Amino acid sequence: MRRRAGVGAIQKQKLEQEKYREKGSEIQENQFQQMSKQLEVFRENLEEFATKHKNEIKKNAQFRRQFQEMCAAIGVDPLASGKGFWSVLGIGDFYYELGVQIVEVCLATNYKNGGLITLDELRSRLVAARGRAKKHQDITNEDLLAAVKKLRIFGNGFTVINIGKGKWLVQSVPGELNLDQTLVLQKANTLGTAWISSSILTGDLGWNETRAQNALNYMVKEGLAWIDTQDSTETLYWFPSMFAECVSA
Amino acid sequence: MTEITWPWQYNFPPFFTIQPHAETRAKQLEAWQQLITDYLKTTKQSTIDVRESQNCPLFNNATINRKLSQESLLIILEEMGKTGRAAPVDKSKNVWEVYWHSLDEWGNMLYNWASSNGLNNTVCTLFEIREGDNTVGEEFHGLDMNVLIKALKALEVKGRCELMEFDDNQGVKFF
Repeated sequence: MRRRAGVGAIQKQKLEQEKYREKGSEIQENQFQQMSKQLEVFRENLEEFATKHKNEIKKNAQFRRQFQEMCAAIGVDPLASGKGFWSVLGIGDFYYELGVQIVEVCLATNYKNGGLITLDELRSRLVAARGRAKKHQDITNEDLLAAVKKLRIFGNGFTVINIGKGKWLVQSVPGELNLDQTLVLQKANTLGTAWISSSILTGDLGWNETRAQNALNYMVKEGLAWIDTQDSTETLYWFPSMFAECVSA
Repeated sequence: MTEITWPWQYNFPPFFTIQPHAETRAKQLEAWQQLITDYLKTTKQSTIDVRESQNCPLFNNATINRKLSQESLLIILEEMGKTGRAAPVDKSKNVWEVYWHSLDEWGNMLYNWASSNGLNNTVCTLFEIREGDNTVGEEFHGLDMNVLIKALKALEVKGRCELMEFDDNQGVKFF
């Protein structure tokens, strides 16, 4: 005959659970301590690394990129905060400085490009403004992209737009471009003409008239495109940011 | 004639179409005013005839096949009129005078020239001022007669010179 569970059995069970719980938290505690110890070691090494290579980080573009890649692989963002754990690296400072310079260039060229600038133009203007020393010249497009992405914390005032073929535009006026408007820029970039028209959009992208016109009108309304009504066939929409003479002016 | 250095906008086709977007248009009009002033200064001209404008390379860029229409030019000139940089000569607003310096600036320039050459209280002919040998290096050398007279009249109002006429020649006395 099967014995029924008595009070003793229940108490025994409770006791066991209690013990398990204790053991559990003990293990957790241990792990936590170990983890903190590891982190401490890591931090020490990192600081050592940073002080040793601080100048290298600022000067050497390739080194910076590799460092960025390493950080991305282990899932940390060395630019996330100027105060936190990662600030010891001084890598943030480099990008903050770059960020400020980017803002300056964007504002200085806004009068002619309406707040849209190619990454290449931005880079050549920055390099010209930063002085001749080698470390100032060694700015890669990756550096710029990283710095601009950081500027996003100020709202949508600064955005990078991928226009294909490894080309980027930096938009320095508020107002997010939607997918269609981005496609318009991409198309203009692929054609390499600095202009686009409604018929190209309807023909090449298969858009209908309204869709094309909406996107184009928006670009004009935002001051990003200029209209040209003197072409023999149709209205053309020009982007000063892509017009070679404007870029070099 | 001195070579003109065209700004990038001159080769930018939509520059010749007045822009609908207010901010862009403001930039465009500003660039046009600058260009017109620089062009006239380089070519030593002071008047624009709107009806003839398209014969002038300034308003007709044959390379990119773009022209500034007469209506567009009027918009720009009206804008220049607001800031005293241009004024219509006739009522129908076909001919405009463009001041690459304001009339006051011209007046001061003339007065300074006279003072520094010890010509105060003597009479100079306008011919002398415009084409005389001792004004060759001055900016007002060869200046449009009407603009010169307007500048001197403005100076006269301030009591710093007096315009006078003798025979069929005009002169001015600086004080």
